[in-house]
Amino acid sequence: MTSGKRNFEAASRNRLALLALAIAAVLTVVVLSLPVMTFTTAVYTKRSANTFVGDEKYVEARAEAEATAQQYAALGGEMEITEDVTERVNSKGETTSLIVFSVRQTVKRTGWDFLRAGFVPSRVLLVLVLAVAAAIALALLGLRGGMDTPHRELTGAPRTLRMAGCYLGLVALLAVPVFAMTATQTFSRQVQLLVSGQTILNPDLLLARLDAFLYNGAAGEAAAQLLGGLSEEISKQFFLLLPALAALLGALVVLAKGGITQALSRGALYAFVIVLCVFILYPFYVMFITGFRSNAETTDMYFLHMLPTKWIWSNLRDILGRGVLRYLLNSIMLATGATAIAMLCGIPAAYAMARMSFKGKNAFLGFVIMSQMFSPVVLLVGISQLMNTLHLNDTIVGLMLINAAFNQAFAIWLLRGTFISISPEMEQAAQIDGCSTVSALVRILLPMAAPGIVTTLIFVFINAWNEYTISTVLISTPQNKPITVGITQFSSFNMIEWQYLFAAALLATIPVVILFMCIEKHLAAGLTSGGVKG
Amino acid sequence: MNTILVRHKWEPYVWLLPSILIMTIFVVFPIGIVFKLAFSEISKAGIVGGFVGFANFKEAISDPVFGTVMLNTVIWVISVVGLSTLLGFIVAMVLNQEFRGRKIARSIVVFPWATSLVIQASIWNYIIKFEYGNLNNILLNLGIIKQAINWRATYQIEFMWECGVGIFVTIPFVTFCVLSGLQSIDAAYYEAATVDGANFWQKLFHVTIPLVRPSLTVSTVLNIIYVFNSFPIIYTITKGAPAHKTDTLITYLYMLAFYDQRKGPATALSVIGFVILCIVAGLYMMVSMKKEGEDA
Amino acid sequence: MKKLVTLLLAALMVVTFASFGAAEDITLDVIIAQYGPNTQNWFLGDGMDGSNFVKKFEEANPGIKLNLEVVSWNDIYTVVSTRISNNNAPDILNIDTFADYANEGLLLPVSDYCPDELFADFFPSFIEQSVIDGVCWAVPDLASARALYYNADILEEAGVDVPTTWAELEDACQAIIDAFGGEVYPWGIDMTTDEGQAAFAYYAWGNNGGFTDAEGNWTVNCDANVAAVEYAIGLYNKGFTNPNPATQTRYDLQDMFGAGKLAMVIAPNSLPTYIADKGYTGVNYAVADIPHNEGATSSSVGVMDRIMAFKDDAAPDQAARNEAIGKFLSFFYDPENYVGWVSMEDFLPAVNSAVEALVAANPSFEAWLNVLGGAQFYPTAKAEWIDVKQGVTNVEQSALTGGDVKTLLDELQAKITK
Repeated sequence: MTSGKRNFEAASRNRLALLALAIAAVLTVVVLSLPVMTFTTAVYTKRSANTFVGDEKYVEARAEAEATAQQYAALGGEMEITEDVTERVNSKGETTSLIVFSVRQTVKRTGWDFLRAGFVPSRVLLVLVLAVAAAIALALLGLRGGMDTPHRELTGAPRTLRMAGCYLGLVALLAVPVFAMTATQTFSRQVQLLVSGQTILNPDLLLARLDAFLYNGAAGEAAAQLLGGLSEEISKQFFLLLPALAALLGALVVLAKGGITQALSRGALYAFVIVLCVFILYPFYVMFITGFRSNAETTDMYFLHMLPTKWIWSNLRDILGRGVLRYLLNSIMLATGATAIAMLCGIPAAYAMARMSFKGKNAFLGFVIMSQMFSPVVLLVGISQLMNTLHLNDTIVGLMLINAAFNQAFAIWLLRGTFISISPEMEQAAQIDGCSTVSALVRILLPMAAPGIVTTLIFVFINAWNEYTISTVLISTPQNKPITVGITQFSSFNMIEWQYLFAAALLATIPVVILFMCIEKHLAAGLTSGGVKG
Repeated sequence: MNTILVRHKWEPYVWLLPSILIMTIFVVFPIGIVFKLAFSEISKAGIVGGFVGFANFKEAISDPVFGTVMLNTVIWVISVVGLSTLLGFIVAMVLNQEFRGRKIARSIVVFPWATSLVIQASIWNYIIKFEYGNLNNILLNLGIIKQAINWRATYQIEFMWECGVGIFVTIPFVTFCVLSGLQSIDAAYYEAATVDGANFWQKLFHVTIPLVRPSLTVSTVLNIIYVFNSFPIIYTITKGAPAHKTDTLITYLYMLAFYDQRKGPATALSVIGFVILCIVAGLYMMVSMKKEGEDA
Repeated sequence: MKKLVTLLLAALMVVTFASFGAAEDITLDVIIAQYGPNTQNWFLGDGMDGSNFVKKFEEANPGIKLNLEVVSWNDIYTVVSTRISNNNAPDILNIDTFADYANEGLLLPVSDYCPDELFADFFPSFIEQSVIDGVCWAVPDLASARALYYNADILEEAGVDVPTTWAELEDACQAIIDAFGGEVYPWGIDMTTDEGQAAFAYYAWGNNGGFTDAEGNWTVNCDANVAAVEYAIGLYNKGFTNPNPATQTRYDLQDMFGAGKLAMVIAPNSLPTYIADKGYTGVNYAVADIPHNEGATSSSVGVMDRIMAFKDDAAPDQAARNEAIGKFLSFFYDPENYVGWVSMEDFLPAVNSAVEALVAANPSFEAWLNVLGGAQFYPTAKAEWIDVKQGVTNVEQSALTGGDVKTLLDELQAKITK
């Protein structure tokens, strides 16, 4: 009995979903039949300075504009001549005037026109239409014989078909904004590139298609010039597709899964992670592509290309020629040395903090934290004076010691946490067997604490790798500069060489990134093993 | 019993010695010099003169810019530490879920750490340039905007960008601290809560946050110190322009010391900053440790 | 563990001391400011005919070693002042300011080390800029002159002539706005933290104002200056300028100009090289005088950097050290080296002997030398210059965000004449 009721529920829900599908399909067809795109080409623009309405120069310019309008009127679409007059009295009391004549031609096209045109956006639109059609078809096929079966009991073909329909619905929904974007993309940016003589793939083909699409092929040779001022607009009706397709997707989800909430939450999780990763990788993408652009392209004010027109791999050779390799080596030496010293000093201290009880433990903790409270920037004078006294100025060793000292707090805090989280029983047992404290540490504790030690190593290494201010002041010999200081040579008084700056930054980043990838597991594990239970 | 046998009373101190030595020589000694400088006269060229009492402090505080800079510093520290903690927490919660590609996502999240602040700041400085910045480039080429947008129209917006970059580079640290805290939470707690009928928010506030709090406390204290002392972001993007309106204490005192050649007031400011940090970090630790004590 | 560290430290000291003991040669610490992408290469790499300055100098002058460091402008003040605070000043320094160092008795008078023949070679008007109370403390290493660059095509399409006065400039800006809307910025202003003093000079000198009066007293708040700064800020407020004058640097302005997005900009003589190096081909530009106010005279702006020598009381043989510094200068200003140096980054020379070769290589140099001849310079010889330099920049930046120019300049004047 209950089963029958449930089936009834399922059937009515499925019927509702079917209705939604039908509405979505009809709406899609209707929208595509409307004139969804409006194109305006600036056939002619002329700025005429010191021209007054009615004077000789004006009549001449006006006639020229009208002649042009006449010439292109045959191409179809609405022609419109505008003149924009600005008159002002200047500081000398003279009246000046500027008239801008422009002739615009407006053409409207429907979605079906578009589908036939063969551009990139048309292809996206095609995907959209096909996806909608296929989704509906699949859903209908999937319903055959299962109309009143609840989704949980679906098996075999109906289930697969409905799921497939679901994914296609998602594609359709995503394709709408993508279409809107690619449409503007091709029709203004790409055409802009085409007209300004930049390199794009198959310019002639694109031009011919545009000509066919906008002027029914009548513009011929003049098309390139006509397209110079192309702008386009997607009508608002087009965005009716969004709710329609959302309804379609909803209906499909109901058919396939029964519930929308669960599907959404899983989808949201992935969406969040993807957005997060894209966001975090963005500056690295910028670094990468800018590092291989040509000098001129780094400051391209017309935003013509998302990727370098030509990958200038020789940027790498150039920066290597300017000492970057040496700087990298210095940085590696500096970071390695600093890490080693920091660990040599930090491990015993952390060990004492974790395993021994003594007076002044808290005082030492306070001392460690306090030592972090001055920014190195602030301490420049003091550090530099100290280094002079120790004759460590301008040496990498001096930098190592400084960096090791400034990372003590972090190292001790992390290591102590790791040590505490490890049970001391084994060491205690070893001690009873007559093992010394030192060998208890080296033989027993350290191997067990390896993940935490790796984490600490990495933290200190990266901090030392990235240090900038102190090195700037302490190091004067070019052969001793670490990479962070070395790359400042690319922003000089006369010029910022963005491409070299970023190419060098890339080189400086890669080793650390690789390091991260290799030890990601340890990083989390090391922290987990108690590192943060300060 | 958590400790091991110590044979002599002085033994622990021997273990601490290298660490104390290196910190005393390379950190405490320079700090001492800075304190001495703060009370000395320093000429423009940088020659250190005699004791002048609190003259440097007076000069530093009486400058009308001081108020602006302190306010900026407060906004900077609170927004960067606060938001990066919040966002880092959320990111950690998400990355703690089981999903395909979690490992890759986790390594990607730490990337901002892999570049030095100077480089990150340069990249962002380039990205948000109005005339040729990459943000405009990408948005235009994707067709999302039609006209280049001036991303740094006013200094308030520029300051927001700087805070944004600060947050961007701080999130990885918080994420990893929280993530490790989350991983160490016993799943049994959640099961118990679920049995009791707790919803997501109840679990969050009554199970997750209290258990993660110890890791948050330490990461927040260190963050406050690092963010307060952070220098390259602001120095690279605006240099405090216009007229110190985007400076924080650290960049301001740097400009004072090395651009205006007024090193006396600059060192006085660094001592003031040190005192403020001691108080803030100390208070924070006291309060949160007390809370922990109550929870426990 | 402790032992290890101590050992390490000890070993280090031994090594460093050893290297000290071995040196019988005179070693000169030299700090050079980084002017352009080639500076470092020229001094230390292989940018000087496959060799470099240091190598060539050391070959030509046995017994003298150079410890030469090229420092970016971003860091040079930090590096120098930290080293001075620690009694570790360089022997030879290349930077823009010198007055503070001279007033505090850190510098050697030029007459102590500079050979007479070389000293006579400097342009006298340049040397004057480095004299305090009759003593010359530094020699100019190079100069640059600033003038107005305009995009001829844009001006033509807007139907305006090259502006010579402020009123004409505003007309021209308005005409460009009318003709191009937001596509082109008519006027470039750089009031960034590094260049604010230049902006002040362009307008103040163009209004018969200036940093000081004829007797050399500070007059930063005189009426002419107030009007000048207000005029510049007015251009910004009317929307005639680039949108972010406080953070858009000279690089940004030069790039905008090269790309045809900026119609007019005041820039140094190196702009053509910049435009060529960056590959901007479409821009049709020319040079003109900086516009001035009605009733005032146009004044071109000259900027000069210097080389100076620091005292070192610890040096065992002062005479030999002075001689070494003199040799460094003679070698540096030797036309064979100096001409390459100046033309490499497109600066203007400071010595007569280089003029002939430079003009022969590039005829436009002559015009620029003339501009430079009539140029005014910053009052860098005055002790308060640093305060004024940062002060006027702050005034401009505050005014950009709505501050009252008169009040701000009054405050600055009060501060520096206190």
